[in-house]
Amino acid sequence: MRNRLTPYLFVSPALLLLVAFGIFPILVAAVISTTNMNISAFASWNNVKFIGIDNYTKLFADTTFWQALGNTGTFALFGVPAIVLLSLGVALLLNRSQSRFFTSLRAFYFIPAITAIVAISLVWGYLYNTQFGLLNYLLSLVGIDQVQWLSDPLLAKFSVALVAVWRGTGLNIIIFLAALQGVPKEYLEAASLDGAGEWKKTFTIIIPLLRFAIFFVVVTTTISWLQFFDEPFVLTDGGPLGATTSASIFLYKQGFRLNQFGYASAGSIVLFAIIAVITLIQLRLRRADDEY
Amino acid sequence: MKRTARTAVAVVAIAGLALSLAACSTPAAQEPSGPLTVWVMGDSGANFEKLVAGSGIKVDVVAIPWDSIDAKLTTAVASGKGPDIVQIGLSKLRTFADAGALLPLDDLLVDHPGLATSNFPAGIAGTATSVGGKIVSVPWTSDTRVLFTRTDILAANGIKSPPATWKDLRADAKILAGRGKGQYGYYIPQWDAPLPIEMTWSNGGEVIDSKGNVNFDSKAFQSAVDTYTGLYADGSVPTNSDFDQQQGFVSGVAPMLVSGPYLGKGVTTAAPELAGKWQASPLPSGDGGSVSLFAGSNLGIWFNTDKKQQSLKLLEYVDQPKQQLAWYTMTGELPTASAALADSTLNSDPNVKVYTDQLKTAKVLPLVSNWDGAVGTALLNALNSIVLTGADRKTALEGFFTATKTLTVK
Repeated sequence: MRNRLTPYLFVSPALLLLVAFGIFPILVAAVISTTNMNISAFASWNNVKFIGIDNYTKLFADTTFWQALGNTGTFALFGVPAIVLLSLGVALLLNRSQSRFFTSLRAFYFIPAITAIVAISLVWGYLYNTQFGLLNYLLSLVGIDQVQWLSDPLLAKFSVALVAVWRGTGLNIIIFLAALQGVPKEYLEAASLDGAGEWKKTFTIIIPLLRFAIFFVVVTTTISWLQFFDEPFVLTDGGPLGATTSASIFLYKQGFRLNQFGYASAGSIVLFAIIAVITLIQLRLRRADDEY
Repeated sequence: MKRTARTAVAVVAIAGLALSLAACSTPAAQEPSGPLTVWVMGDSGANFEKLVAGSGIKVDVVAIPWDSIDAKLTTAVASGKGPDIVQIGLSKLRTFADAGALLPLDDLLVDHPGLATSNFPAGIAGTATSVGGKIVSVPWTSDTRVLFTRTDILAANGIKSPPATWKDLRADAKILAGRGKGQYGYYIPQWDAPLPIEMTWSNGGEVIDSKGNVNFDSKAFQSAVDTYTGLYADGSVPTNSDFDQQQGFVSGVAPMLVSGPYLGKGVTTAAPELAGKWQASPLPSGDGGSVSLFAGSNLGIWFNTDKKQQSLKLLEYVDQPKQQLAWYTMTGELPTASAALADSTLNSDPNVKVYTDQLKTAKVLPLVSNWDGAVGTALLNALNSIVLTGADRKTALEGFFTATKTLTVK
């Protein structure tokens, strides 16, 4: 009896934290999502009424919600491969030498990841500015007209995503570099003896051995793109015309600008379900090639 | 004799007791000491401390950035820990009141003649800004929108005076945009939700119907949309959302725009060499005259403050015409007290005279819950989708009407 309880005793602190800060808030949000709670609830709790699934039916009929979901999908679809391939490529190149120059480059690539988002938004805002921005100045030197980096609905998506990619690669490069340390030298030496070239070694030995690191980066990057918030929030505030409004920005605006707490909770439950399903699928796919 | 003495003692004792009881029941004596916490919007915190220094009331000023007021409000109301006094932008007044964050002042104002409704223009004090029939704030600063023009550039292009009507404005803007590539005639900030409403008011229309519901489906509004979309169709306004209005005005790229006194102050500071080359003039009129926006902010008392009387005393102090004029000198924010608005020194500046005259007919945005977030955003999205992405006008406007018609001031 005592032995059987011991493992539970050991996991209980972690479990309690998970329940208190992970599961409990989700349950609260689920309950709030069935009410019409808004800011008047603070004046009197009598203003809160149970309205069943009304928030959800309203949500699925809301074109701005679909636009936000569509934007999030687009961001994830292009952003995940971009970040994974870019950081993998940079990590492979950085790993080719342990010289001082290369180690300082590692620090250089990590800088965007640790810079405050406000500073980033200021600098990129100036780079992108239509009238005075550096990018448009450089383009004007070769005779190209002003480009509306953050004002054109289609281009703004790209501009915002570019900043996120730039900012998101740093941490993943470090993860890949760490994983590259774990590739046994013997395999590479044996391959060299067998006459394998650099490309062959990279694609048939190194990348397959990085499988778990790649999987980890893909899962975390996907989740972070699905929760995409910082860059559009500081650069465009979801504009122009909602073109960079991600699902998280939609929720933030509903919840904290319009004070529609019930409605925003319903949206967050939907987003939570989407992220959970996508992550489960990814985990299931991973299990399939476990025997590699 | 002895008896009289005893009676006298009793009388004195009772009188003394009554007096000390009365002293106790004066709320000021019961209120805890310590500074009043005041939430001031924007970056005027230090100025506010300077302003109240002469009142003898200790304050602890917290400057709240305009952007974060919603989040601040939500957390403060939910936790019950707010300031004693809070500055509220007029467009947020209803949201604050709905949250129960503001103390109803109806019964309290009686003892404070300095805060009486009659001291302020009818459009902003008392019932005009009461929510649910209760007065929850007192006027503090005012702000309005007028037309700013670079008279030197207008004159160089054969335009003798700033346009007085929206029709003239559109024609003049087209002439000015014809100065060449990268030159515009007018600037419409893509975030300026009140502008189409000012146009509607000036066309003699309303955005609230007789039942108190939001209703934009009117001829006056359609005519405002004509002006708005027409300026874009003529190529008279820049289409990038990051256009800087002050820079555009100073450089002459966009020599006309509708903005507030802050633009005048900004231009004076940033480009003193332009003095005499620009001016403020009344908002262009439509069929309904020149009716602009009464913006600005009020001051309210937090619902659960334990320093009610001291807070009222402070409000009465800063709402004196003299203090409001001092505030104008410090920050450039216009006063609200009628006596201060009529001050001859204040009005000796011709631009300020334009502001104060415009304020006489200016109107407050309807006190609909979350006007900015709900109506303002939907309005801008509809109009900007027409002018920027070529959306169908009828569909865009119908969508906007449907989205906002359920909102009400009640």
